Amino acid sequence: MTATTSADARQTPPDPVPGSASRRLSGMLPGLLLVAPALTAIGLLYAAPLVRSLVTAFVGADGTFTFANLEKALEFYGADILFSILVTLASLALIAATSIAIAGYLTLGQSRWAVPLLRWMYRWPLFIPFIVAGQTARSFLARNGMLNTLLADAGVLDAAAAQSLLDWRGLVLTFAWKQVPFVTLLLAGAMASLDRSTIEAARNLGASRLRCLFEIVLPQVRPQLFVALVLSLVTLLSVLSVPVMLISGNPTMMTAMMAHRVTYYGDYAVANALGLFSYLLTAAAAWAYLRMSLKEKANP
Amino acid sequence: MNIRIAFASLLAASALATSVSAQTLNVVTAGDTNMVDYINDYLGPKFEEAHPGVTVRAVGTGPGDGGSQAIFEKINAQKDKGVWDVDVAVVHQRMAGQMVQDGLLANYRDGLATSKLVTRETAENALGVNVSGYVMPMFHSQIAIAYNPDVIATPPQSYEELAKWVKENPGKFGYNGITGGMAGVGFVFGWMYAFSDMADEIRNGPWVDGAADKWTPALASLRDFNQSVVMTPGNAGTLDAMNRGEIAMGPVWMDMFYTWVADGRLNPNLKLMILSPGMPGQPMYYAVPAKAAQADLAKEFIAFATSPAVQAEGIVRRFNWFPGIDPQNVKSELTDAEWNRLFADVAPETLAERGWSMPQAKYFAAILEAYEKNVAK
Repeated sequence: MTATTSADARQTPPDPVPGSASRRLSGMLPGLLLVAPALTAIGLLYAAPLVRSLVTAFVGADGTFTFANLEKALEFYGADILFSILVTLASLALIAATSIAIAGYLTLGQSRWAVPLLRWMYRWPLFIPFIVAGQTARSFLARNGMLNTLLADAGVLDAAAAQSLLDWRGLVLTFAWKQVPFVTLLLAGAMASLDRSTIEAARNLGASRLRCLFEIVLPQVRPQLFVALVLSLVTLLSVLSVPVMLISGNPTMMTAMMAHRVTYYGDYAVANALGLFSYLLTAAAAWAYLRMSLKEKANP
Repeated sequence: MNIRIAFASLLAASALATSVSAQTLNVVTAGDTNMVDYINDYLGPKFEEAHPGVTVRAVGTGPGDGGSQAIFEKINAQKDKGVWDVDVAVVHQRMAGQMVQDGLLANYRDGLATSKLVTRETAENALGVNVSGYVMPMFHSQIAIAYNPDVIATPPQSYEELAKWVKENPGKFGYNGITGGMAGVGFVFGWMYAFSDMADEIRNGPWVDGAADKWTPALASLRDFNQSVVMTPGNAGTLDAMNRGEIAMGPVWMDMFYTWVADGRLNPNLKLMILSPGMPGQPMYYAVPAKAAQADLAKEFIAFATSPAVQAEGIVRRFNWFPGIDPQNVKSELTDAEWNRLFADVAPETLAERGWSMPQAKYFAAILEAYEKNVAK
């Protein structure tokens, strides 16, 4: 009798009996308790303010629903939104090019001293906060700053023709300087874990190192490069200190104008409307990132 | 066992004693970190010395009007509570006016030992709002033009002359627009005082709807002016650019200028002047929130902070600010050299004549928006 019951139980799933749901719930309880602190923190500190700021962007001074804040944000800061997008894309292009060059050299380079030296040096900016990078760039890239002075002293540049790089170029250079180590770190790691026999086979057949990089190595690490760039995009869109320190007047990055709206007008509505555009941009990047990681999970 | 009981009762007694005599005075201040340092390193310890058992705790809320905005939000959020956790608030003019209107501040000045020493008009009127009785000026800071006399022997004296001079000397004048700090904002306000034909209304009100429409010519000329100037990143950016010789002239805060010179961070040959008709300056105020937990102690603290000795040592000597109380009351506490240094480039009469107040709150925002719309694009 006992044997039959256990055999039946094995063949068909047991019917739901009263109390099994609560038993299942109590089984989940430790897990729920473990997740609760993190979930609460995300809910209170991230999701709630996010929703609140999204809502504020659509609420007028009289408390009713309105598109006026969005219209004002576009009218006043449309150029700044465009500027933010262009600067971020230019920065990402420079970051990608530099990171590929560094990671490629670390993987394919043959010098006994240059490779270790580069490996040791390229990570330094990771440990420098954005605000320090901004402050350094501010005196380095100014018209009579260190860069132009060095170039003039070296006879490369006529001091009278020197111009300030404290505009979009300064932003792109500073952003790239700060983010290249991060992207390189991920990229070099991915390249190091590749099956070296593919590289060696190509080299044996006479492929140059450059061709090896672009036709063998890079296609295999494209997902990692993409992920690193998406994460950099989100970081760059959120930096306030660097545009505030480098850029005078408009156009500038959206973050600087959000701070401006709050500081001088106490106007959270338009600041949040600007924030909405930031969310949209990062949401697009996040969507691409999720799609990418899902695809990876599907065919590992 | 007996020892343990004795120890426990001793502990309880001391806890009781401290709860009776220990008071914490919460000072919340807007402004740069130097404001917090000023209270933590100088004002707080001196006040604690004179008031045993009192602890002064300073909290900074950030520079500029944004810092004052944060104080307003902090107090406004606990509006319905019986007692607030801010005893002394140090705020800028614009927010002081709003906080008085919203009933968030106490009318505390009458009866304060130092209230008679204040003469400036800003102690009565904050950007068009009557704040008489609610505030004591902590200091006054003034926006002026710094110039390099090695490059410009005779600097233009008025906005009109400056506009002409800039056309003849493009790239020699720099300022930080309106998004990089108040020195640039103040310069723009001065421009509007000079060219809008509304200088009185802008400073004293009343607000007229559609006022900004009349500013088109003034803003167009400013836009034209901007074509020949260098835009600098921030208040410090202007001083940096002067130091590097990139520009020869630009608007600065006078106290910041003197502090940089004193620290050896700025070419000491540079000089200051104020353009006619006038350039704005502003005080910061000591205020007591309406439901401060330690209101009486807060008043004592403010009386101490606005006494001539503290104004001389703390405000003038340490920070190169103009005193919040009448400078004549501070003169006896300063050496002749210090007095002369304070007024070295700008004589007291010039300061009185050309040191104007900031625009009234609504004009303040309207000018900035009009600039963003007509000049910055």
